[in-house]
Amino acid sequence: MSRILIVDDEPHLRLLYETELRRAGFETMTASNAVQGLEFVETMEPDLVILDIRMAGMDGIEAMQHIMERDQRVPVILNTAFSSYKDNYLTWAADAYLTKSSDVTELVETVKQVLEKQATAHG
Amino acid sequence: MIDEGAGRPEAEILSAAFYQSPLPLIVVADGGTVSAVSHEACALMGLSREELLGRSVNGYFLPQLPIGRCFELKECLDQRCRREMLPGRGDPIPVEILCRPFRVGSDEGEDLETEYNHCLLYISDTRKRDYEDELRAARVAKLSLLNQVSEALYGANLTLDQVLEAVLICITAGQGLRFNRAFLLLVDEEVGVMRGEIAIGPSDQDEAGRIWTDLSHQPEDLFSMMTSYDQSIKQTDAAVNAIVKTMSVSLSDHDNVLVRSMEERQAIRITPDMDLPGVAAIRQWLGCDCFAVAPLMTRSGILGAIIADNAISGQRITDLDLEFLQLFANQSASAIENSRLYTELERRLIDLRQAHQKQREHQETLLRMERLSVMGETSAIVAHELRNPLVAIGGFARALVRNLDQDDPNHRYAGIITEEVSRMETIIHDLLDFIRPQKLQRKVVVVDDLVTATVERFGGEIQAKGIELALDLQAGGAKVSCNPIEIQQVLQNFLVNAMQVMPEGGSIEVRTRQVTGGVQVEVCDTGPGIAENMSDKLFAPFFTTKPTGSGLGLTICQQIIKSHGGVVGVRNRTEKGAGFSFILPLPKDS
Repeated sequence: MSRILIVDDEPHLRLLYETELRRAGFETMTASNAVQGLEFVETMEPDLVILDIRMAGMDGIEAMQHIMERDQRVPVILNTAFSSYKDNYLTWAADAYLTKSSDVTELVETVKQVLEKQATAHG
Repeated sequence: MIDEGAGRPEAEILSAAFYQSPLPLIVVADGGTVSAVSHEACALMGLSREELLGRSVNGYFLPQLPIGRCFELKECLDQRCRREMLPGRGDPIPVEILCRPFRVGSDEGEDLETEYNHCLLYISDTRKRDYEDELRAARVAKLSLLNQVSEALYGANLTLDQVLEAVLICITAGQGLRFNRAFLLLVDEEVGVMRGEIAIGPSDQDEAGRIWTDLSHQPEDLFSMMTSYDQSIKQTDAAVNAIVKTMSVSLSDHDNVLVRSMEERQAIRITPDMDLPGVAAIRQWLGCDCFAVAPLMTRSGILGAIIADNAISGQRITDLDLEFLQLFANQSASAIENSRLYTELERRLIDLRQAHQKQREHQETLLRMERLSVMGETSAIVAHELRNPLVAIGGFARALVRNLDQDDPNHRYAGIITEEVSRMETIIHDLLDFIRPQKLQRKVVVVDDLVTATVERFGGEIQAKGIELALDLQAGGAKVSCNPIEIQQVLQNFLVNAMQVMPEGGSIEVRTRQVTGGVQVEVCDTGPGIAENMSDKLFAPFFTTKPTGSGLGLTICQQIIKSHGGVVGVRNRTEKGAGFSFILPLPKDS
């Protein structure tokens, strides 16, 4: 069972994503800021990270860069309310980029796709 | 020794000397007979010295001069009297006679002062004097009018037409130069021609009679003259104004009397016996043999000319008339030039004002755009900030919909929340797209190709909804410079709208046409068409007729087309349905 780390400073959204992803059969863990998220990446070794971009303190893009620098690659989905980040080339490194929507189906589907791709890539 | 001259009788010498007097003098003896006469008097009376000497002087004057009685009664002592003189030939001449009675002969015991037996008459032709007086009076009157006119023409804010009219009024008015008709020609330097501009004057004797009666009661200042002109003459000007419009003289025709008059800066009077180049044409225009032309000159050059005649009354154009016409033309020319300069100044002032106004508008537009841009940024931030809570609300509402039993009324309520949140999310999505500055990545594309590619992408979806799709591409390879992605977005929007108004099926036709300066693309549907009062609002932000629309789709389309320098349009088709179109401008060099 894949383990998903949700990093978002909005508690209600963390709850929503946890609920929906668990329903879809994933194991979830949450962090309320980027620093905590990076800590959990080290300590809990999630299979995938869903990162909000705009957060107090370190933002999602910087956090993603730290994750990418690790030896062991963890796929990242950027999930943000700000569609304009799409124009920022720094976000292009993410495995997927989503604009937040109340219809969480797309997020769940994207998580599945990214994990599948990861699985195929690593044989 | 007797000298030859000294040998003559003294009386003879005196009589010869008297004859040589440069004044018209007659000596009358007692009884009224002429005893001596001067050469001048003979000339005036048209008789020789021999014819006069010894005759009674009384018969030559009406009423008779009572010289004899005069001596008895001492009536006309040193008096002047006026008489009609009947000369030897010709008409009577009005004269003034100055009498100086005197006595010749023995003076024993008689009163020298009272007993006269001779009289010296000084006869002067009053005709000449009256004429000179009249001339002087006329000069004074006309100079005063000229002065008044020029003051009025300079002082008042008259338009060029009013000045020209005033000039012609003065030439024809009774208090003015008393010409019957006046025609004003102005130089058009660009074409090198002098053309008839405006004219004043009656067209026949009857009209002339009526007008001159009217005008005889005119007050003498210019403005009253202009007012009564407006009231009584203006409507009779049609004939002369028709004539003036036919007048045209080439400035290069230096022999022409009008051009010559200008070049020599001299008014010219044309009499029936004169035959100068150009005169025949003017005679034909005027229908009259005698006329006067005067140049309109200023220091800076030639403005034109005035032609004046007495075609109605047939009166001779006198030296004085010509002199005043010339004087007046000079005055008028300055006034006309002033008025032109004034008009030019006024025009420039208006231009300046308009430029100023435009600049202010530009400034306001800039300010408005700045405000809009600030508003845009603000709303983008607000929209983004709203997205997080909306995701939470809508996300959990969806969870509720899923978890609640179909029969539970809350199931329906949660469904409503879901729908409404979706709508808000659509608004935010469109709004953010709308506000996001579009990067201008222009390419030159063939419009028909772009349309074909776009329609192909959505063709399947459209036909799946039971809608027939047709292309009518007539732009013939015309190219436009555009951001193809944006133009596709517009076309896609039109296509989706067309599909949505035909849920029961129908047909869509996409047409391209070349129009003046651009290419038109139109998406025609066979839906219900647009309600009459809606077509203005369709492109306004947040206006929608669809239950889930954001009301931004067409606004964004309009923005995109506008940013390409094009226009969007909508119409109800005569057959059925609506047509949404846009025109993209052709590149300037094609």
